[in-house]
Amino acid sequence: MILPSPQRTIVRNRPKGCQGAWVLAAHAPLRWGSLKVGLSWALAGVCCSSWLGAIAATAPSPAPAEKAVRQELSRAILAEDPERARLLNEIAHSGSTIAQEVLTAWTRDGVYLYDGSGAAKIPLLLEETPDSEGKARAIRIDTGRFLAGPDGHDLRLAAADLGAADTDMKLRQTVQRALDTLALADPNPETRRSAASKLGNSAKPQYLAVLEDRLAIESHGEVRRTLGEAIALLHLADTNPAVQLQAVRGLAAANALGAYDVLKRLAASTNASPEVTRAADLAARSIALHLDWVNFFGTVFRGLSLGSILLVVALGLAITFGLMNIINMAHGEMIAVGAYTTYLIQNLFGAGFAFSIALPLRLWGKPLAFGLHLPGLNASGGLYESYFLVALPLSFFTAAAAGLVLERTVVRFLYRRPLESLLATWGVSLVMQQLFRMVFGANNVQVSSPAWLQGNFTINDVMFGYNRVFVIVFAVLIVLGTWFMLAKTRRGLLIRAVMQNRDMAACLGVRADHVNLMTFAFGSGLAGLAGAFLSQIGNVGPGLGQSYIVDSFMTVVVGGVGSIVGTVYSAVGIGTTDQILQQALGSPVLGKIIVLGAIILFLQWKPGGLFPTRNRGLD
Amino acid sequence: MKYQLKLLKLLALACVSTCGGLSLGAETIKVGVLHSLSGTMAISETSLRDTLLFAFDEINHAGGIKVGGTTYTIEPVIVDGSSNWPLFAEKAKQLLEEDKVAVVFGCWTSVSRKSVLPVFEKDNGLLFYPVQYEGEELSKNIFYTAEAVNQQATPAVDYLLKLGKKKFYLLGTDYVYPQTTNLILYKYLLLHGIALGDIGGGLRKDADGKVISAGKYTPFGHTDYQQIVAEIKQFAASGDACVINTINGDSNVPFFKEIAAAGLNPSDCPVVSFSLAEDELRALPTKDLVGELGCWTYFMSLPSRENKQFLARWNAWLKTENYSGVVKEKRAMDSPMVLSYDGVYLWKAAVEAAGTFAVDKVRDTLESGSVTFDGPGGKITMLKNHHATKNVYIGETKANGQFKIVKDFPQVEGEPFLLKGLDEKLSAMK
Repeated sequence: MILPSPQRTIVRNRPKGCQGAWVLAAHAPLRWGSLKVGLSWALAGVCCSSWLGAIAATAPSPAPAEKAVRQELSRAILAEDPERARLLNEIAHSGSTIAQEVLTAWTRDGVYLYDGSGAAKIPLLLEETPDSEGKARAIRIDTGRFLAGPDGHDLRLAAADLGAADTDMKLRQTVQRALDTLALADPNPETRRSAASKLGNSAKPQYLAVLEDRLAIESHGEVRRTLGEAIALLHLADTNPAVQLQAVRGLAAANALGAYDVLKRLAASTNASPEVTRAADLAARSIALHLDWVNFFGTVFRGLSLGSILLVVALGLAITFGLMNIINMAHGEMIAVGAYTTYLIQNLFGAGFAFSIALPLRLWGKPLAFGLHLPGLNASGGLYESYFLVALPLSFFTAAAAGLVLERTVVRFLYRRPLESLLATWGVSLVMQQLFRMVFGANNVQVSSPAWLQGNFTINDVMFGYNRVFVIVFAVLIVLGTWFMLAKTRRGLLIRAVMQNRDMAACLGVRADHVNLMTFAFGSGLAGLAGAFLSQIGNVGPGLGQSYIVDSFMTVVVGGVGSIVGTVYSAVGIGTTDQILQQALGSPVLGKIIVLGAIILFLQWKPGGLFPTRNRGLD
Repeated sequence: MKYQLKLLKLLALACVSTCGGLSLGAETIKVGVLHSLSGTMAISETSLRDTLLFAFDEINHAGGIKVGGTTYTIEPVIVDGSSNWPLFAEKAKQLLEEDKVAVVFGCWTSVSRKSVLPVFEKDNGLLFYPVQYEGEELSKNIFYTAEAVNQQATPAVDYLLKLGKKKFYLLGTDYVYPQTTNLILYKYLLLHGIALGDIGGGLRKDADGKVISAGKYTPFGHTDYQQIVAEIKQFAASGDACVINTINGDSNVPFFKEIAAAGLNPSDCPVVSFSLAEDELRALPTKDLVGELGCWTYFMSLPSRENKQFLARWNAWLKTENYSGVVKEKRAMDSPMVLSYDGVYLWKAAVEAAGTFAVDKVRDTLESGSVTFDGPGGKITMLKNHHATKNVYIGETKANGQFKIVKDFPQVEGEPFLLKGLDEKLSAMK
């Protein structure tokens, strides 16, 4: 009898350690009596408990250290300089989160002094939200417990009845420095980086020690770089020219943008030695050159991102105007449909969406009104942040559906009458704008970016925003997808046939009506996708479509009506030129004016656009 | 038959006229409300109309205005300026000459106020103007409950200077209010020792080399702030920088989205906005604005008892009123609305003190400095220079669209003319 060989998954790149134990345990077949299974599970169990034990051991034991810090804080609030400065210095090195909270409140006049029964005043914090009488419970800073009256119950005090612990500018600056030193030990690397940068710019050499201590134990690359720069900046204030020289050279080598002002001042100062001023001058120049390169690449990236936005906005129009010869003035409203769909999906993932419309009509004496309430998923965390991924295809389909309706009802009768199509679609756009106002309100609506689209990454000081990179990548994907559909699929073949000669294609058995419908819907769907992107970058309101319709037509006409490639080139070209001119001229409006002027001149020279597929005579 | 019909008509006319002549109960006094209820400014100005209606209802329910032994109920005459500035002037003329109103509460944009100013001066009318503005104006027919520059812009700059900020980037929308305010702030900063290179945004000089415009300006509705925010980021790289933002309208949305994407957080480079109040924050992504600063003479989150009672009364009125066009849900209260409300009560107090509705006597009473009102934002007193003494508050934006108050300057006297004084001090400094 041949026993079936046990199924074993081959685990390549066997993970080591605790993880390995888990993986092996998971993959080993569950056969009772198997020694291997038993050993793997036992090993996993031992690993886990030791790991949990390690965590428990490293967790800060709350009682003694915090209590000491609280006592110090309380004494510091009541003390005078220099005792106060000494206490603050100790607190700054404690790394305590309580200290951060109390010190921040102190700078904002949030620490109160209570005249107790004894001679000494008691420093307090008040609870955030007062009750209906405006009173709140008070937290003693020295013990962390609520202030109790003589009968043992928690006292409720109003902020107006207590005196705030006074601060003046000097004290606030000292406290702020203590806060910055505490922030150097914060778990969040961005907070650490920001604190290091502030301490470096403070020009106070007493922070050198704490910065150097932090550099010795810091592991995060970006924070290490900032710490190095901060130390060098502080060294610049040193009296020893050799130290200054080394610091200047270090800053030049690191191309520290934040040091530019200081280096320029040092180069112009009369106190420093000539060697140092020369080095500072060279360093400032080198940083200025680096800044020029950063601006150049930044401008190119910004041009690409603006171009990609123009591209996604105009691509749908390139298809409807270019391929079908329909002047669709409602294209902007299709963009708005996509943007509002994103807003709806965001709300559905959140708290739900409700609207009510009251029509100015009366039916049997009662006003006509109807409303809709969609309950939300109240999702949070990762599920909520994924709303945008759901919103993207839905924006496409909603706008495509709107385009379908528009085509069947209005556009279908206007294929051979392009001027009428302009007027009719303009009317439709006005109706759609009013519909948006009635359902969503005349104000703009809030659409916030999901967490994974926020922020940026920098390469060599050039900043790339995640949402902009996303738009560029998606624009490329959309263009490739459209090209693939048009060039390689059967449907694309039919579309191109209908575009070239509708009647001939119909004679050859192509369902021209159906092809037109699908093409118009596809173009509108692309506009909806553009709306989803625009909701992340700009504002969403009833007037959203109007702000982009002119730019869309401009891009399509410059690229050459009927050419997808032309639209790509013209969008990227217009975007990049606009950004370069903004950078060069320093004025946001002048650049746009020159671009528009250039387009007018270009169209005089080449009326068909960059890649004319046919003339612009509307036949 | 014809003769009898004529007699009947005459009799009816006589009846109606005598009935009209009889005062059935209290007298009424007409007051004008001149705001844009349609067009681009409608979003902001309809809230002011709503607050004025609330104030009028409150006064009428409390018994009206007592003048010379007679009680008058307020009869509002609401006209729509439609965000059309010449139409504002026409409507003002209509209110003063045809409706013969005793006072007008209105205007938001400086251009609308400047359009109606000649009408009010010619017809000797009275206008109460509630919206923060650039100053440099004083008309004998206008009383400005609005924030003058020294009640909004300069206290905010003082607060930032106290925080240790040394670099200031000026950014605004391209029209008279941001241009004038930024010019004043530019001179103010120079006076306070900020170096010329530390004032960002650019300068424009006229043929003689005098600075006529300071800061960066974008048109209404501008959406592309990438380049400007990249400049701000570089400006702020050396630390101790802040941005003074006088952008008006929904251009603030793409601006703050760019600021958030660039990683400029409020603790490093705070942005103080002068045209964003709780009403505008309803439509902004407040998640991106947490910690940014605002400066007004009223915040909805003021913890005073007057404010809490005021908000309770306002919410109760919203539930029960049935004026057409007043939106009931998700309302916010902000400084221009409260200053409209304060203006109504200041006028009422002045009229009752003067004992007449006549514009000249009311003006004299207001100028005497004795007219005061305990408003939701604190005590407000009218001064001889037609501006008011008010409390000034600085707040940090919270994620729920409210402000957390971090500083208050009590009882700041409004002063409209700052440029001349600053110019003199600057030339003395040289």
